Amino acid sequence: MSKNSSKRGAVSKGHDLYRFRLFIAGDEVNSIRAKTNLFHLAQTYLSDRHEIIVVDVMEDYQAALDFNIMAVPTLLVENPFERVIVGSLSDEKAVLDTLGLIFESDPQ
Amino acid sequence: MLLMDMIGFQKEEAMKHKNISEQTPSATPIVKAQTYITGLDQILEGGLPRGRTTVVNGGPGSGKTMLGTEFLYRGALAGEPGIFIGFEEPVDQVRSNAGTLGWNLSALEREKRLYLVGANLKSDTLISGEFSLKGLLAGVAGVSRKIGAKRVVIDALEVVLRLYDSKRQVRNEMHILNDWLHSEGLTAILTVRPPVPGSVPSFHDFFESMADCVLFMDARVDNQLSRRRIRIIKYRGSGFASNEYPYVITAGGFHIAPVSTVGLRHKPLGERISTGLARLDDFLGGGYRKAACILIAGLPGTGKTLLASTFTRGACTRGEKVLYISYEESQDAIIGNMGNAGVFLKQFVESGLLLYHNIMPEALGAEEHLIRVFNLIETHHPQHLVVDAISACRRMGGPQAAFDFLVRLLNKCKELGITVLLVNQISGASSYVEISDNDISSIIDTVIFMQYVEGAGEVNRIFSVLKSRGSGHSNQKQEYIITDEGIDILEPYTGEGDVLTGSARRLQEAKDTTEAQRLAIAVKTKEIELEQLKLRQREILERRHYQSEMRRASPDNPDGKDQP
Repeated sequence: MSKNSSKRGAVSKGHDLYRFRLFIAGDEVNSIRAKTNLFHLAQTYLSDRHEIIVVDVMEDYQAALDFNIMAVPTLLVENPFERVIVGSLSDEKAVLDTLGLIFESDPQ
Repeated sequence: MLLMDMIGFQKEEAMKHKNISEQTPSATPIVKAQTYITGLDQILEGGLPRGRTTVVNGGPGSGKTMLGTEFLYRGALAGEPGIFIGFEEPVDQVRSNAGTLGWNLSALEREKRLYLVGANLKSDTLISGEFSLKGLLAGVAGVSRKIGAKRVVIDALEVVLRLYDSKRQVRNEMHILNDWLHSEGLTAILTVRPPVPGSVPSFHDFFESMADCVLFMDARVDNQLSRRRIRIIKYRGSGFASNEYPYVITAGGFHIAPVSTVGLRHKPLGERISTGLARLDDFLGGGYRKAACILIAGLPGTGKTLLASTFTRGACTRGEKVLYISYEESQDAIIGNMGNAGVFLKQFVESGLLLYHNIMPEALGAEEHLIRVFNLIETHHPQHLVVDAISACRRMGGPQAAFDFLVRLLNKCKELGITVLLVNQISGASSYVEISDNDISSIIDTVIFMQYVEGAGEVNRIFSVLKSRGSGHSNQKQEYIITDEGIDILEPYTGEGDVLTGSARRLQEAKDTTEAQRLAIAVKTKEIELEQLKLRQREILERRHYQSEMRRASPDNPDGKDQP
């Protein structure tokens, strides 16, 4: 389990803290991609209001069972609301939409 | 003990078929894992392939999740821990569904004999980019080592596979899963829904090619009644029963009714058993035959139930067990009505010899009816069975359902050597086709037809024996009456000048001989009488002749009177 907090530039509106739990499987290619994508997204849009816990199910299978994780990578959004995103998070726009970080007025 | 069974089974199997392992000696013979599900091991000829994958293909409501659950539950009880991975149903729901059948999954979970993994996605889950099942498999592998799992059920796998964009991804995942299952050595069941026409990607090809055994479960609704069938589509390296088999989910779990291939294990007709009426026994050449199927057909009110009950009374009096299925009347109504006609049955119900099974045909589908009757046969062990009336079986879901029900029931009874009396209510016409309707006439050994005849201002009841396999019988129509003391058969009825055949003809020939002799004597007597008459006639004539002679002598002497 590793923790990472980022403290870079803020683009998004709002003040909620985003807490993520990312489940990966070792150095499997999609897991690496997901980790990279999440860190990039968090630093870009949630500079100082996010918390990421990365869980490697190959080392801690019980966590995967406890959280009902059927696929890796899976991102659990625990705060400010609960949401599940499965996959390498390659579709940034869809991910931002799910996280409530895209608004009508936003140019995208 | 179980191992012994298995070896015995395989020997028997090898003798019956030339199976693959026998033909290619290099192949290792298949080891089977018993499912302990009623009837399933029988049609699988021992169980599922151990350490291999079985695909259970079934539509919504077919009960495939329940089948998987029972496989794990019974396995766990028999000392083989198992893991359930549910992609669709939340595991709490699996627990409570099992609870309704009396299976306490939570207790097995606490004892580490069962582990339920909920892998169902929330409906608002976003899929973004590629992913794999590796994480789940890592988790399950960990649990498997911890509890020493031997079995695994992966339920509704297609739910997750549908999330993949391409066939290539599905193929990758299937290979990962397949490799994992092989390396773990688990006996696996994958349940999937049948392919939706036109759906992309189609992953069923992969399922079926990677599985050593494929089962197909089908739940249909015909005429508002459900019909459930299970079929084995493939079983690598093993023989299997290839028919469609009906199944139901009862309070005790799955129940599959294995139906033997037509008639191979039928018992031959046995000894004579009394019909309960001495005169009817005579007409049938000594009575019904044991293990025979007897059809009693007739119009309403002709006494069909009474005839069946008379037989029942006779059988119970001999200490034999009878199962009486009534689709028309309650137990009390039958016992009451029969008592009014002098046939008392209550004592046999009390002594346990006679068991009534009263149920509305509409209450259940044909399969469930069948399985309930099979259960009763297994627990009650009847020598004889009465179905009153088969005409009501159509209400289980149409003529086809009735036919299926009866054929399977009769097959079972023939295998077990149970005598069956089928009561059939017919509507009026007396054609043979209608009497033995439901197309079951080939299985029926004896037909007794009961009808009304009108004559001389009254309506009488007559019966005739239309068919009786394995015995001479009279084709003559017999009049009978229903009295306070049961059925009473009267003298032979010959009012309609019927053509006589068979034993009746022999009887008639004997009668004719006697009659000829009687007539010969009568003729002789008449001849003697004639002779006597002729003698008397001659006597009279002679006397008259003598008198006239005397008178002729006297005219010469008209005064002769005065002469002395």
